[in-house]
Amino acid sequence: MTKLAGFLSGLKTLFKKAFTSDHFKTSVIEIGRTMLAIIIAYLVAFVVISFVSEDSKNAIRWFVLGPLSSPTELGEVLKNATPLMFAGIGACLIIKGGHFNMFTEGAFYAGGLVAALAAIYFELPGFLAIIVPLAAGSLAAMVIGYFPAKLKVSYDVNEFVTSIMFNFIVMWVGVWLISNVVIDVTSGDNATLPIPSDSRLSILFENTNVTTGFLIALGVAIVTYLYMYRTKWGFRLRMTGDNKAFARNVGINVKKAGVSSQVLGIGVAGLGGAVEILANYNRFNWKSLPGFGFDGFMVAIIAKNRPLLVPFAAIFIGYLRSGADLMAFNADVTQEVVQIIQGLILILVASEAFFSSTWFQSVIATKMFKKKRVVVHEEVSAHE
Amino acid sequence: MSNPILQMHGICKSYGPGIIAADGVNFSVNSGEIHALAGENGAGKTTLMKILFGMEKPQKGEIFIRGQLATITDANKAMQFGIGMVHQHFMLIDELTVAENVVIGIEPKKHGLFDREAASQLVKEMAEKYNMPVNPEALIRDLNVANKQKVEILKVLARNADIIILDEPTAVLTPQETKRFFEQLSALKKSGRTIIVITHKLPEITAICDRITILRKGRNVGTYDVGSITETEISRLMIGSNPLPDIIPTFGNPGKILLSVRNLSYQGNHGKPALQNVSFDLHAGELLGVIGVEGNGQRELVDILAGRQIGYEGCVLLDDVQLKGKSIKQIRDLGLAFIPEDRMTDGVNLSGSIMENVTSAIQEDYEYQLGPFQNQKKLNDFAHHINDVFEVKYNSLSEEIRFLSGGNMQKVVCAREITACHTVLIANQPTRGVDVGSVRTIHDRIDALRQNGKAILLISSDLSEIRSLCKRAIVLHQGSIVARIEDLSVCSEEELGLYMLGIKCDNDTFGRDAA
Repeated sequence: MTKLAGFLSGLKTLFKKAFTSDHFKTSVIEIGRTMLAIIIAYLVAFVVISFVSEDSKNAIRWFVLGPLSSPTELGEVLKNATPLMFAGIGACLIIKGGHFNMFTEGAFYAGGLVAALAAIYFELPGFLAIIVPLAAGSLAAMVIGYFPAKLKVSYDVNEFVTSIMFNFIVMWVGVWLISNVVIDVTSGDNATLPIPSDSRLSILFENTNVTTGFLIALGVAIVTYLYMYRTKWGFRLRMTGDNKAFARNVGINVKKAGVSSQVLGIGVAGLGGAVEILANYNRFNWKSLPGFGFDGFMVAIIAKNRPLLVPFAAIFIGYLRSGADLMAFNADVTQEVVQIIQGLILILVASEAFFSSTWFQSVIATKMFKKKRVVVHEEVSAHE
Repeated sequence: MSNPILQMHGICKSYGPGIIAADGVNFSVNSGEIHALAGENGAGKTTLMKILFGMEKPQKGEIFIRGQLATITDANKAMQFGIGMVHQHFMLIDELTVAENVVIGIEPKKHGLFDREAASQLVKEMAEKYNMPVNPEALIRDLNVANKQKVEILKVLARNADIIILDEPTAVLTPQETKRFFEQLSALKKSGRTIIVITHKLPEITAICDRITILRKGRNVGTYDVGSITETEISRLMIGSNPLPDIIPTFGNPGKILLSVRNLSYQGNHGKPALQNVSFDLHAGELLGVIGVEGNGQRELVDILAGRQIGYEGCVLLDDVQLKGKSIKQIRDLGLAFIPEDRMTDGVNLSGSIMENVTSAIQEDYEYQLGPFQNQKKLNDFAHHINDVFEVKYNSLSEEIRFLSGGNMQKVVCAREITACHTVLIANQPTRGVDVGSVRTIHDRIDALRQNGKAILLISSDLSEIRSLCKRAIVLHQGSIVARIEDLSVCSEEELGLYMLGIKCDNDTFGRDAA
């Protein structure tokens, strides 16, 4: 009882503090700056569109307002955002732990494939038909992801390189499986058997493609936030990511913390892959990497590595992509130009986040210092 | 004959409500003098100098340089006015050579490309001219602290600065290095440079400075000729009241052996033995000092005891438990706490909040858990409590620790470690670069810990610190114990110096028979 009371009062002070703290104020400033970056990015995009389009007004309208024009289109935004949320949260865990493990990409593939196979071959009843494939997908990703993580932490093998290699190994093993082993020849494709309807995630809102997967993603964001900022394990993870020497001195097992940061991040990405397949696909038929894992790092950067901001960043990118698709479909801007515009916007928004990072600020400080000194020298010698 | 080269009038700087770093400071420096700027940490010394160097903008106030009003908006402007600053934390690039670091940004060019030879030549000439011998081709990462400091000063000189600001220059130097450093400062003064030294070491002020300005709580409480003021008066002006007498070490009978080190040997990185047959005992209720010129095995000894270094020979028993093969966490769980020498990397997590830093040693404890979560309230209470006990000045626990002054940051480290100590505390340079007031707090707490029946190993390059706290001490030279001093009060500083330099060496037989 006292424990519960303590917990509740803790929650109360937490909320009270959240809105008065300096942290909150700086967050508002940071969000404002990101907004400004988005506006500038869109202005640049408009200039590009007006160059390539005969009817630029129409194109811009579809690009900006298209995704908001109907519940169905709004649903597309959320549908596009869902996998990005998983990938973004995974990337937060990895980046906060001080790593740059790109296996979130392979995790999406492995998670999706294993979830599909579990759904097809286990044929479990009731809610197990959903839970078990999701868990299996996530777990499979974690098992594979353990290797690049362990190699990094114990043997100092650069995780960026190994994780990308692992991505391709996983993908080609998967392609081989769906082409030779678990192939359903009647599908006319290199694809698995159909996923049983019991295992499909249900639609959340009528007339849209938004599934319960979106809710799962929101839940994971909250759980990840609590894990990272309210538990001792999260504390270990963040301290190790910030300053390994310090973490070691206060008794944290930095190797364990390093591996768990990466494996958990990959697990979240694997869950994302599983959700993606169970939500939007009849059969598993991916013959290339889906790209969500890479996007996840961009989402995390825009969200300043904060799990609770990830949904917003992911929905923004979902909106951007939906708008771009609609513009390509309904206006005279070709798909290639749409891709370029997307890239431009993402570069501008992501670079705002990048340039305002502490790391970059410190680099800028030393660089400017250096430049100033050049001038000084000249001026001083001119005096003499 | 006063000839002010620099005058600051009515400088005001506040970092938000309640945090006033400078409150209408007037400050004047004469041409060609060594001027000490003294005061406790947080008194506004560094802020004032950062304003002068253009790193901070004052809200009010004017700066005159050579009689002319100067608007110093950034470091660039400051250097145009001939002002150079050597920061407390060096700003050097480890992977580059000395010459490259000195000329960075003002590189001599040949055919539009960097002229490495000219740079070396330039640095060599300057090094000779100012009596600062340093090899221009050496990599910064291979240099010791004293030499890094020389490079920083050469860097400033290479930019033709004639007003040189030094922020706590001797905080990282050994007594011998400090002496050499003073000679170099005198040489600089002879060459016509004006030097401002930020310091709170009183003997240094009287040894080399011409005048002194004392700051307290953002105000100038007086500028004096050094000859006309005593150390006691300076100390009183800095702290605001008469300083308490030094702790007089009172020692009861030491209790049982808490830490027992036998025949500890460790092979260093360069094939040179870093520790050779080190043996000593540490009793409950005892403070044992480790004396020695830096780099004579202290770091290795501390790292081994704290569990940071493995692969040593010999045996370490903590309260009769063998430490070999134990992780840092296991050793900490046995009640050993550790104040690291380098607070910026080992002692605190600069990106973390004060709260996270002060509680990091107790985060795992069962009583601070609430199911799967942390008990935020209890952690908060704990943090408030020990910050009060250690007199840490802060605005909010969620503030990042990087915004605290050096002294306050060190108090956070000491607060965490002293609270976590249940058997032995390893204190490595616990008061380096810390102001008088904070030193007192930290010393009081360490001594209270001793009276509580804990054992403390104090490693310090500040002899007076060890003498004021410890009765017994060991002297390390080249990784061996060259002397065991049973009563420091009857051992002169000269004698200690002979031991530290390895000129005198006792035959060490302690623990040999036991092995």
